[in-house]
Amino acid sequence: MEPDNLVLQPRDVQFDWSTLPMHWVPDEPVATHVMNVLHLLLPEGERWFVRTFQQVVPMISDDTLREDVLGFIGQEAMHAEAHSEVLDHLLANGLDPRPFTRQMEHVFRRILGPKPGLTEEQAREQLIERVAIVAAVEHFTAYLGDWMLNADALDRAGIHPVMLDLLRWHAAEEVEHRSVAYDLMCHLDRRYVRRARTMLLVAPVLFWLWVRGARFMVHADKTTRVRLTWREAMRAGRRGLLPKLSEIFRAFLRYFHPAYHPKQEGSTSQAIAYLAASPAAREAH
Amino acid sequence: MLSGLTKFGDFYDAAVTRFGGRTRPGTARDSLWLNVVERSQVADGVVSLRFGGATLPAWQPGCHIDLHLPSGLRRQYSLCGDPAESTYRIAVREVGAGSREVQALRVGDRIQVRGPRNAFPFAGLGPIVFVAGGIGITPILPMVHAAAGRGLDWRLVYCGRSTKAMPFLDELPIGRVDIRIGRGGPLLGDAHPRGAVYCCGPASMLGQVRTEFSSRWLHFERFSPPPVVDGRPFTVELRRSGVSLDVPADRSALDVIRDFRPSVAYSCRQGFCGTCDVGGVRICVDRPTGDRLVLEEL
Repeated sequence: MEPDNLVLQPRDVQFDWSTLPMHWVPDEPVATHVMNVLHLLLPEGERWFVRTFQQVVPMISDDTLREDVLGFIGQEAMHAEAHSEVLDHLLANGLDPRPFTRQMEHVFRRILGPKPGLTEEQAREQLIERVAIVAAVEHFTAYLGDWMLNADALDRAGIHPVMLDLLRWHAAEEVEHRSVAYDLMCHLDRRYVRRARTMLLVAPVLFWLWVRGARFMVHADKTTRVRLTWREAMRAGRRGLLPKLSEIFRAFLRYFHPAYHPKQEGSTSQAIAYLAASPAAREAH
Repeated sequence: MLSGLTKFGDFYDAAVTRFGGRTRPGTARDSLWLNVVERSQVADGVVSLRFGGATLPAWQPGCHIDLHLPSGLRRQYSLCGDPAESTYRIAVREVGAGSREVQALRVGDRIQVRGPRNAFPFAGLGPIVFVAGGIGITPILPMVHAAAGRGLDWRLVYCGRSTKAMPFLDELPIGRVDIRIGRGGPLLGDAHPRGAVYCCGPASMLGQVRTEFSSRWLHFERFSPPPVVDGRPFTVELRRSGVSLDVPADRSALDVIRDFRPSVAYSCRQGFCGTCDVGGVRICVDRPTGDRLVLEEL
């Protein structure tokens, strides 16, 4: 029986990046950089989640949901900090991520930030749409989290243990809180049309940002001459080092099923088991 | 490319805010109304209550429920029965007004309940040491039974003032149970250095377990934030709201501001996550050096 009634708690994790090599999936620069895009997107993206949800708290009229949202905010804030430390490490080691992260600041602060000149009613409507956008993104983070917790090929590939722990700690917390944004969206507006249109918006933009980010990283890495090609990415997918595009597409389609609920993606007990064993999460008490 | 996305974003926002249609909010989840079906004294000063009702939501070891008492007080209690049963059982030691009110419930009374929720999930990976102090046995008891049922390597250290004050001694499974009366002695002893520890008890016991285990591999439950140590009272001034609130020595600015404005955002209540940050002040832990804290944005 799945414990889907968790009280969400942020964990005060610390990671030591001093021994992280540039290609932390050994001899796999493409797989490394495709996953490095997480560090490019997440700090700004998750800080935007936090700001959005902080504004929404007064609109929640369900005590349990309010507790879930507050736990979600704390966990996302810790994710943002942990990933931005990796960016600092990359910068110190000769890979400057700032040209790309500046663009992400533009995306999450300017494009997705609050717009001026709205009536109270319009501002509320815009905020609910933002929540629905977060819910669509969280569908993918739950899918990726579940993939990450089950991707045995990552262990076999000999990934740097601190990075693997960061990725799986984050994955486990994404699985833990995967229902919160969706439940919040339904609490504010349960219309199918909002769920569907935000996913149609989020999926292509997220995919495009990811490809752009991976291209940027491979290009900015002066220690390798490998180019990012579809063939390289598919090969890594076949080896199990990246999720397969066909699987991601199937996950995208599942969101449109009328009976969809995030609980159907991933396993809370698996997430709890990882968090009980994660070096960083264990040290966090 | 980014300028294209920016234009599209502006267009999308304008379209949604003007032609988005009427929202259809969801309904708040109903809380449960349960009947007291059994009441018994299980130790000195400890009363156990069993609640029943139409199909209760399932729960796992570590879950608690919130009781909404007729006086308006809310109290959380760990479920300490068997998850397979069709009733919820709690055990309550008398410590204050809330627990007195719960102990005064009688068979047949109806009470509003929220939950169950789990803030102390049991991962079930051995070897495990359970450490319980007095009424802290309540979340631990179902975990011990789960560990024994799954055949895990477990031991229990159960401490109390006297056997009469320790509930459920007669319900512990057969196994490595170590009953300790009074203070003193190491709690973990020869515990496996790589195992997990699940601890529930007074702050002093948690402190001792933490030092013995050098803070590793430890799971414990926190119903409330860590107590304020050496705090001094101060006044917090909320500039935007135009009010000043008095913060006593044993409470945080956040606690006091929440009474005034329940929608204020916070999360970890320990100062690390930054959710409650107001202009650089983490109101869950920060205290002024003087006797006044000014928050411009609240």
